[in-house]
Amino acid sequence: MSREEILEKTKGVIFDCFPDLKNQELTEDTVINTDTGIDSMGFVLVICKLEALFDIRIPERQWKKLQTLGDVVDAIARRLA
Amino acid sequence: MRFDSFEQMLSHLAETAPDAPALRYEEKTLSFSELKQAVDARAATLRAEGKTCLGLLCDGSLDCVVEIFAASLAGLQLVMLNASLDTGTLRTLVRYTDVDTLWGEEDLKEDLELALMEGVKNGAGKILFFTSGTTEQAKAVVLTDYSLCQSAWNGSAKLPLSPADNLLCLLPLDHVFGFVCGLLWGLSCGACVSLGRGARHYLDDCDFYRPTAVSVVPMLLGFLLKQNCLNPELGLVLVGAGDCPRELLELAEARGLHVCFGYGLTETSSGVAISVRGDPFAMEVCPDDTVTIAEDGEVLIQAPTCMMQGYYKRPDSTHEVLRDGVLYTGDLGCIDENGLLHITGRKKDVLVLPDGTKLFLPDYESALMKTLEHTELAVILIHDRPALVFSGEATPAALSEKLRPLMRRLPRGNQIAEIIVVHEPLPRTATGKIKRWELRQKVTDHA
Repeated sequence: MSREEILEKTKGVIFDCFPDLKNQELTEDTVINTDTGIDSMGFVLVICKLEALFDIRIPERQWKKLQTLGDVVDAIARRLA
Repeated sequence: MRFDSFEQMLSHLAETAPDAPALRYEEKTLSFSELKQAVDARAATLRAEGKTCLGLLCDGSLDCVVEIFAASLAGLQLVMLNASLDTGTLRTLVRYTDVDTLWGEEDLKEDLELALMEGVKNGAGKILFFTSGTTEQAKAVVLTDYSLCQSAWNGSAKLPLSPADNLLCLLPLDHVFGFVCGLLWGLSCGACVSLGRGARHYLDDCDFYRPTAVSVVPMLLGFLLKQNCLNPELGLVLVGAGDCPRELLELAEARGLHVCFGYGLTETSSGVAISVRGDPFAMEVCPDDTVTIAEDGEVLIQAPTCMMQGYYKRPDSTHEVLRDGVLYTGDLGCIDENGLLHITGRKKDVLVLPDGTKLFLPDYESALMKTLEHTELAVILIHDRPALVFSGEATPAALSEKLRPLMRRLPRGNQIAEIIVVHEPLPRTATGKIKRWELRQKVTDHA
């Protein structure tokens, strides 16, 4: 799966979880915490949905390192490779 | 029932209810007799190894719980560590607490091996929990299995569970509220404790374990309610370890849940007051504790059975808050005409300005948030003047312009004197409180 496809699917999950963000442009540089207003529990929700969607597991110790959408895409891409 | 030690609690339950379920984790269940056997066997191994101070990298698993009780029975000093902290911080904590052996994930243990120390003398019965460090650098609070058992009894005297109950433990065990109210509370009442399977299972743990009671922090309660993942058998929710919006408790009660709110500190081995009926913010003081209010509104606690021994290797810090058996909590509160405790704020969230006026930060920051339509901000003192730290994308000039109408309504000394924009999230504790000490440090370092 290409990086662009992962990003699009990730954005899809975020929009499903937080419909209010649909009008916001999300890019790999988007900082999840400050740019989207997604709090730590919201982040758990997104990660759980992404893990289920891509059938992967990102260790909990890594979660706090995922600051931008690009970081999330990286983490997913590494596990799909 | 009141127990004086983990050993006494486990022995009693293994004798009186040997086949009753004690712990559940994933598909596995341990009865009280099986739990006692597992703990005894592991304690024997630990004794044979001859170590004196165990750093426990908590993962909340069944083995983790067995290790906690076994280390205590074997006479080791036990240090409860949050395994999700970065390795550098964990190394510092391991050194500070004299850990000479570790339990936890193998990779992490390897990373920490070089930090191991020579252990301790006279550590038996001591269990160290770290404070959340909301306003200062985290400190290790020295508790004991005795104080923790008393705390569990203290809470259950107000809010008992029955052996038929199934308590879901979703909170980390390295947090004293999670340990006492998520684990010991259930076990000491002879109830089954279901151990949560980590953050990725917040959505389905209730469905999986079908608990009748759960202990949560406010943020987690909000999440569970919003995602509608509470099971119908669930009747009792104990909320603690942080300020909880009234709307959230009302929402939970509207769903038929009995919601209780607890107040306590790591220094008092968890809860000292709890609401059991009526207004969830009007709390009855637990039987072993005495709460008084100082002239300036500070909540003072005497808790002879549950009080900490002190902060580990920090006698000066201990003396600052604990004098003549009285804990100066730094929280503000009042006692109503019915003798119920209400917490109204945090003394340490009050900024005292050079002209003697005080800024009550929750109110002040709330006004700033409303004006700026942004919640990721904090006010700290820089050069004795209030400074706004804003986390996000904006320029100080634009923020200043937006704040102008609000500032015009405030006394000059209370007005924001400096705006600092940062692009990383504000440092927060596990319960969402801003770590002001760390924030101040970061901002100062930047300058």
